[in-house]
Amino acid sequence: MDFRGIYDRLVAIHAPGLVKADEPRKADPKDKKDKGRAGDPFVLVEAQELARFLESCRDDDRLHFEQLIDLTATDPAKDAPDFWIGVQLLSLKFRHRLAVKALLPKSAPSLPSTVPVYRASQWHERECAEMFGITFVGHPDPRHVLLPDDWIGYPMRKDYEFPKEYHGISCE
Amino acid sequence: MSGTSAFLEGLKAGLGEFVPMWALWLGSALISVAIALGLISLIAMFSVWLERKVAGHIQCRYGPMYVGWHGWLQSIADGVKLLLKEDLIPRDADRVLFMLAPALVLAAIVGAMAAYPLAPGILFADIDLGLFFIIAMSSMTTIGVVMAGWASNSKWTIYGSMREAAQVVAYEIPLGVSLLVPVMVAGTLNLREASAAQADFFGMGWFMFKNPFMLPAFLLFLVAALAETKRAPFDLPEAESELVAGFMTEYSGIRWSFFFMEEYAAMFLMSAIGAVFFLGGFESPLTHLAGQLFGRDLVVVGAGPEFAFTAINWGALVYQLVAGGTLLVKSFLGIFLMMWLRWTLPRIRIDQVMTMGYKYLTPLALVCVLGAALWEAGWQALVRS
Amino acid sequence: MANETRESAQGSSRIQATGPGEVTVDIRTPDLEINFGPQHPATHGVMRILMRADGELVTGAQPHLGYLHRCAEKIGENVEWLQYLPYTDRYDYLASMNNNLGYSLAVEALLGIEIPRRATLIRIICAELNRIGSHLVAFGTYGLDIGAFTPFLYTFREREWMMALFEKICGARLTYSYIRIGGVFNDAPPGWFEEVARFCDVFDEKWKEYCDLLLVNQIYVKRTANVGVISRDMALDFGLTGPMVRGSGIDWDLRRDMPYMCYGEIWRDGAFKIPVARGEMGALGDCWDRSWVRVMEMVESTKIVRWCLDHMVDGPVIGEIPKTLKVPAGEAYVGIENPRGELGHYVVSDGGKVSIRTRVRGPSFCNLAVLEDVLPGSLVGDAIAIIGSTDIVVGETDR
Repeated sequence: MDFRGIYDRLVAIHAPGLVKADEPRKADPKDKKDKGRAGDPFVLVEAQELARFLESCRDDDRLHFEQLIDLTATDPAKDAPDFWIGVQLLSLKFRHRLAVKALLPKSAPSLPSTVPVYRASQWHERECAEMFGITFVGHPDPRHVLLPDDWIGYPMRKDYEFPKEYHGISCE
Repeated sequence: MSGTSAFLEGLKAGLGEFVPMWALWLGSALISVAIALGLISLIAMFSVWLERKVAGHIQCRYGPMYVGWHGWLQSIADGVKLLLKEDLIPRDADRVLFMLAPALVLAAIVGAMAAYPLAPGILFADIDLGLFFIIAMSSMTTIGVVMAGWASNSKWTIYGSMREAAQVVAYEIPLGVSLLVPVMVAGTLNLREASAAQADFFGMGWFMFKNPFMLPAFLLFLVAALAETKRAPFDLPEAESELVAGFMTEYSGIRWSFFFMEEYAAMFLMSAIGAVFFLGGFESPLTHLAGQLFGRDLVVVGAGPEFAFTAINWGALVYQLVAGGTLLVKSFLGIFLMMWLRWTLPRIRIDQVMTMGYKYLTPLALVCVLGAALWEAGWQALVRS
Repeated sequence: MANETRESAQGSSRIQATGPGEVTVDIRTPDLEINFGPQHPATHGVMRILMRADGELVTGAQPHLGYLHRCAEKIGENVEWLQYLPYTDRYDYLASMNNNLGYSLAVEALLGIEIPRRATLIRIICAELNRIGSHLVAFGTYGLDIGAFTPFLYTFREREWMMALFEKICGARLTYSYIRIGGVFNDAPPGWFEEVARFCDVFDEKWKEYCDLLLVNQIYVKRTANVGVISRDMALDFGLTGPMVRGSGIDWDLRRDMPYMCYGEIWRDGAFKIPVARGEMGALGDCWDRSWVRVMEMVESTKIVRWCLDHMVDGPVIGEIPKTLKVPAGEAYVGIENPRGELGHYVVSDGGKVSIRTRVRGPSFCNLAVLEDVLPGSLVGDAIAIIGSTDIVVGETDR
């Protein structure tokens, strides 16, 4: 199934939290400010509904996304209001992919964990949590995965300031 | 009369009343220990070099090439390096046991060496329970290994020594029982006598060919000996990919090299036992020929009309050298076989090791003993009738 | 067994009352907690697994990563598009060509540019040769984990030649940076394709040696069959990819099922097959299956290389790429079949010279997560076999 077909199916099954589809487009020649968008299409969903959305993607027999390939976050800019949560789903049966994106306000970076749906997201969520300071409510093992347990700050945020020292070791 | 006591008798005859007998005993004992230690070092050094060469050639490379001709000085260079290395003892280790363990291991194997016959007439000690003595002494090394593992106070070493203990306990039985088969045929535990019993058929009357149950017994012995000497595929006590270096993880420098010396000396002794009790010991057609040409007895004890005399038959020295060399070559062939296996086979898991020891090797060895006993009894009956 | 394990995990001597007036004293020693790593011969790098063990039985395992964390993703947000390429070499250092390729394809997806056909074919040759090299290391070091030292040197003999081939084409032996955005760095030197063909011919004979020496060796089979079984559902649930998922009997390969570059064409030509484990030696999804898949994949890779050599065309090897690349705004995710599984690059651009997010989905990282579930209940020796069979590269788990 191509992206359009997947999106139509998502609409048809009333996938929870589905907001819209975002597809790449050419720049509008009339509007000079519009630069268009390159890359892959994705669907935008509500962050708080992400886990339930993924569940419906997994369980629907026409979509059949058995695998969660990637779950990650993006901090688009220092002054941006939201984090982006990006999820890559893969269906081995139907050989199609789906990129899912959710906007999560930086003021309240918390959303339900997707581990009950896909255990694959366990370590990805741990990484997001330590790198961006996003809380995944209901994560079974919310420890740091790559960073030391006592690391202060969230390094992948755009406003992160590199520490001057770590345990008395100068970092400059 | 042969061996040490004959030698001492000869010496006494030569030195007369100047030196008391106890001094002769002590002197010869000290010399023997020195020779045994030297022999072990030499065997270890040569085996290390051989191991590296064998491994190299099996793995499409040369092994040591730079120190001396084809790297023959490599072991000496390594030995010097090990001697000069810092001797580390972990802070939380049990110092006394930690230092005692390698010494105990080495002492046990030097002790075991006492029963090794250098040649039919040149022995450290002509022990009637020679085989039993060697096995008993080499089992002592296990205590040293367990001691080392415990004293190092590291989890890996504990694993290594526990594995060693379990493995040795499991494989002592098939080792001993499979050796019972040739012992039964030979009727002796003395290594020299067992070897002499195979001198018929122009030096080819090896026990291996004397009984149909001997070949399976030999294979069982081989497997058990591998496990006993901690060689691959039974190198679980030191399993470098699992336990870092097993019981010797915390050892360094000269203490570590003691464990190494023990390993190679144990390999050598096990091969020697195998050679003596299965593969003819000193006997080969060459030995037979030398014996025919030069005579066998080094010390000729004769009785004249008025006095007993002892004399040394220097020609027999050639025979002794050939015989000793034969055993040495056979032992090193055994060592080579062990190396060959080590560089070919993967390692067995610990439960498989245990299963094999208790469930397969031990019963099979017992069957071999039973079969060999029946065969011998039948053979004897047949010969008599 | 499971119950017992759970009890012993709490680690205490206890007296169990099993019936009225009957007391069984069950001496249960506390479990041993071992730090397996960071410096350990079998962790293939600096990874630590906190293992709980009851004697030889592993009752719990917790991987701790991050010892090799080099902030690759953060660096991606701070250097220009073209400058990031050398950093991709460093995450899975055994398959640098594939990493270069994954990143280049992701950026090219944003740029929307066509790659010259000769460049595409050279890319495939390099990626497949690198896959052979990577699997050679995986298989050789797996033998090392099991305790067989010799196969390791045999595999490295062939890998040496593979690295010499790469040295000829790009001058580096491990970190190539050869596949660039827009094509490849330079054309192959004269005689290179012929040597690659020779390598394939020789390799077709050599891989049988590994099979004889290790893969069908009885001890090896006994050590790996029925050990570390990862079921189909588990493989899907944990998002395993690559040989891990094929080792569990799932017929999935991105090169065939979601073709990129001209893999689809090669597949339609019937040039290669996808080896999928059938559980020949034991349960489906055990360690033996995974190692078998790797060996067979090497053979298939040589076929792909041969196809590319046969269909080689003349022409340029790199398109017109400006020194300072500006990538149109948007986001793209490209996953390619790395030797270890799906290597995904998720790149986000706002139209500038620097990406605003370079996410690397390393297959080792995802494949490693399964250890927490597979290790408990195995023996210590098995644990080594299982860790080895996941074939992780710590540079990639930590990035």
